Amino acid sequence: MNANTLRGTAALTALVALAACSSGGSNNDPSLVGVARQTLTQAVAQRGQAAEPAAPRDPAKMAATALSVNPGPLILVGLEGMGTTEVLAMTGQNGGMRTYMTPNEQAVILRGGMLVGTRGLGHDMSATDASQSAALIRAGQSGQARRTLRYYAADGTERPLPFTCTIGPGPKAGVTIESCEGNGISFQNNYAVSGGAISVSRQWGGPGLGYLTIQTLRP
Amino acid sequence: MPRRLNRRQTLLRHLLTTALPASIVLCAGAGALNADPTIGRSMNNYGLPGAIDTPSAEMLPDATLSATATRSKLTERVGLVFQLTPRLTTALRYGKFDSTEERRGYVRDRSFDLRFQVLDEVEGTWRPAVAVGIQDAIGTGFYSAEYIVATKTLSPRLRASAGLGWGRLAQGGGIGNPFGDRPGPDTGTGGSLNADTWFKGEVAPFASVAWSANDKLTLVAEYSGDEYACETGDADNCARSVWLSDSDPLKNHFNFGATYQLGQNYQVGAYVLGAKHVGVQFSLVTSPKRAAYPSGLEPAPAPVRPRPDRASDPDGWSGVWASDPTAQPAIQKALGDALADEGQRLESMVLTADRAEIRIRNERYIQHAEAVGRAARLMTRALPPSVETLVITSSEAGLPTSSVTLRRSDVERLENTEAGQIASAAALTDAEPRPAGLVMSPGEFPDFDWAIKPYLSTGLFDPDQPFRYEVGGEVTARYELRPGIVLQGSLRQRVFGNADQEAPGTYDVDEYLALSDAEITAQNNGVYRVRSDSRMYSGNDNLQVPRLTLNWYARPTQTTYSRVTVGMLERMYGGVSGELLWKPVNSQLALGAEVNRVRKRDYRNAFEFLDYEATTGHVSAYYEFGNGFRGRVDAGKYLAGDVGATVEISREFANGWEVGAFATKTDLSADEFGEGSFDKGISISIPLAWGTGQPSLRTVGGTLSSLNRDGGQRLSVQGRLYDTVRDSHSVRLYDGWGKFWR
Repeated sequence: MNANTLRGTAALTALVALAACSSGGSNNDPSLVGVARQTLTQAVAQRGQAAEPAAPRDPAKMAATALSVNPGPLILVGLEGMGTTEVLAMTGQNGGMRTYMTPNEQAVILRGGMLVGTRGLGHDMSATDASQSAALIRAGQSGQARRTLRYYAADGTERPLPFTCTIGPGPKAGVTIESCEGNGISFQNNYAVSGGAISVSRQWGGPGLGYLTIQTLRP
Repeated sequence: MPRRLNRRQTLLRHLLTTALPASIVLCAGAGALNADPTIGRSMNNYGLPGAIDTPSAEMLPDATLSATATRSKLTERVGLVFQLTPRLTTALRYGKFDSTEERRGYVRDRSFDLRFQVLDEVEGTWRPAVAVGIQDAIGTGFYSAEYIVATKTLSPRLRASAGLGWGRLAQGGGIGNPFGDRPGPDTGTGGSLNADTWFKGEVAPFASVAWSANDKLTLVAEYSGDEYACETGDADNCARSVWLSDSDPLKNHFNFGATYQLGQNYQVGAYVLGAKHVGVQFSLVTSPKRAAYPSGLEPAPAPVRPRPDRASDPDGWSGVWASDPTAQPAIQKALGDALADEGQRLESMVLTADRAEIRIRNERYIQHAEAVGRAARLMTRALPPSVETLVITSSEAGLPTSSVTLRRSDVERLENTEAGQIASAAALTDAEPRPAGLVMSPGEFPDFDWAIKPYLSTGLFDPDQPFRYEVGGEVTARYELRPGIVLQGSLRQRVFGNADQEAPGTYDVDEYLALSDAEITAQNNGVYRVRSDSRMYSGNDNLQVPRLTLNWYARPTQTTYSRVTVGMLERMYGGVSGELLWKPVNSQLALGAEVNRVRKRDYRNAFEFLDYEATTGHVSAYYEFGNGFRGRVDAGKYLAGDVGATVEISREFANGWEVGAFATKTDLSADEFGEGSFDKGISISIPLAWGTGQPSLRTVGGTLSSLNRDGGQRLSVQGRLYDTVRDSHSVRLYDGWGKFWR
């Protein structure tokens, strides 16, 4: 048998990437060099973190700087899975929904302090309708709520994860706990409510993303 | 109109079914539901779930693509396995075995397998999973075997399988001959279905147990009827004498092995066959349903900016701004700049007091809905409040291919909610070809793009030279005079490589060059060498022009598209290519026709031609079945003047992954066609964005065509219409709609 050919460029990207250049301009494809470098940097960064957790900047200093520079609403968000903390500034407000972004345009979307989406984190939550939970939490009441968390799946679809949640006071005064379970997955969100608003919280962002700690710096 | 509504409902239902809970993705291994097929843990040495030489009734998780290489003193194989549907496993494999018919003493043979799980295992009852399989269904028959097998999970760690095998699986230990004698293998050209041998001849039982010591290590033991007759010189049980080899025979029918899982993507294994031979194997497993960055790493979109109330912007709400001639240029500039930041080009725009239509070219997002969603949000930021109707028209190759119409209030109301909601509020229609008041964005056309980069071209699976490559530098350039008229091409300079110029058959290059076309045809079973001399184009140190074409795209009617391409169409042919496609935006069916008049290009000189000329063309029907499956039939005249048809089936995913298979049968006889009887192959396309998380329209992959022969060969023109227009049409757009708010 002879002449079976595989025409194509699979697995050759690294070589092709060397020293490519172009007119750029309207060509928005990221260069393969850039992609490779970025992927590598991330892999290195993720591995490095376990070894030296002291690397992140001091959140208190970051918050103070941001508050002095930016006059708008600000939040401080920690991604537990990645061990990073960033200050995010509000870039959009649509009704009760606020979009906050980091300087490099990663976003956290909150509705009345409840996490309803993230963008640009790699394992983003697309949307969740948490209005039943939110009403109970802000009113300081106990009860049951249903909510569906949706996330971006690898195959390009938006997938729903339905949960049933129990809301009630936690062991610490002023902290409300939302315990959710569904499809063999469970998570537990904590909210510190003051004056009817969620000021500090720890909320689950979905499979792959894990927990986010969210603190209001300036409402 | 009711018909149109029905279509919308079907599409929506389709969209919603793609969004079912992903329990299998999330909880794999954590007690799958009864309705799911039994998922295999370790690969056998054919690359399918099973023990060593024997199969099991297990499946891989849906859409899994795996590659397995296995090697022992007796065998050497490499294969690809794709879980086409949850219950159907397919495999394509290259095996190497001795053959006295080949001057090199061995053949590399392709074989194709199918396994279908007919019965699900029911937990807590006696009922096992049951599967039927056919091994080496269309190759030479060296590995041919058929089986029916049952697998039962005895405990979370222990599984047992037992079954009956024919063919190779019944070389020893036979218990009878229920369906008549097994005919000998096809000794001719190969490549046809071996259906007459299926489930014929002696049948033998086989059995295996697999014990998972932990999550990673699995130990397997089996009783197998495969005695490796040909490999060990057992002439009585070897189907053809030319395959006989002389390795030491197995001592018994028992094989033992172990596999070890390395992370999610790799598996290594080792085994002992019949207490005599040792083998090793390695598997790489991937799936379009798994990615390092499922949502992508692209920056967040600019959020919706809700309109101020009427009292605070009375002018904006009244629409009087529309009579100011400076308004549209300023808005168009601002919107164009914002779109450019998000990887899109604003080609043109119609703006009135209450409606805005933008024509965008998506240059970044493989799921087109993401581009539409971002454009919609940017419109809410750029347009005065009186504009309520937002029309986003997609432009591909300069053609408006579809329009998504949204109410601005819906975009404001539904931002960052489940994507299905905005889908039901949106209308997808064929684009208006020439809307009144369309204003081109200044500076967009003519548009010139170029790039200089190294290139590497490769050929794999050549028996004499398994890896052929060529490395050099390449300049590509694209000049778009106005939307739809493009001059594009590339220049290449080879630097080094081992892919030298080679003549087909037994000729050397000079002998081949001295032959006339008639002689070439006469010595190739009466068929001119339209493809099989492709290596005559290799190893060229002159400046090469792989392609250089002038393309003209147009849209004669609302639902038809046309293309004319003139120039050096591909490496081997130049000429004129014309195509017409009928594809209404909401239709799952498309029809097309293509006619080409081409001449074969010179082997060495970029702008010279050889004598061979051909008129080739096809009529095509394309159909999207739903759930990612689509089919295509082309009927017409191929490059060598043969007449026939190509059937292609593929499965694609919203993220841009695509796996397909095709077969071409023409009026050439199997003798004229030569080895393989008809042309067939598989194609795989993997989006770069899936691998890296960085947004990009680029894909990597290729076509693995079974044999480079001269029958059933098509011209390889770039920019065919169907693939150009369908990303923004209903099925593809709605499949990827989940990323509208991404």
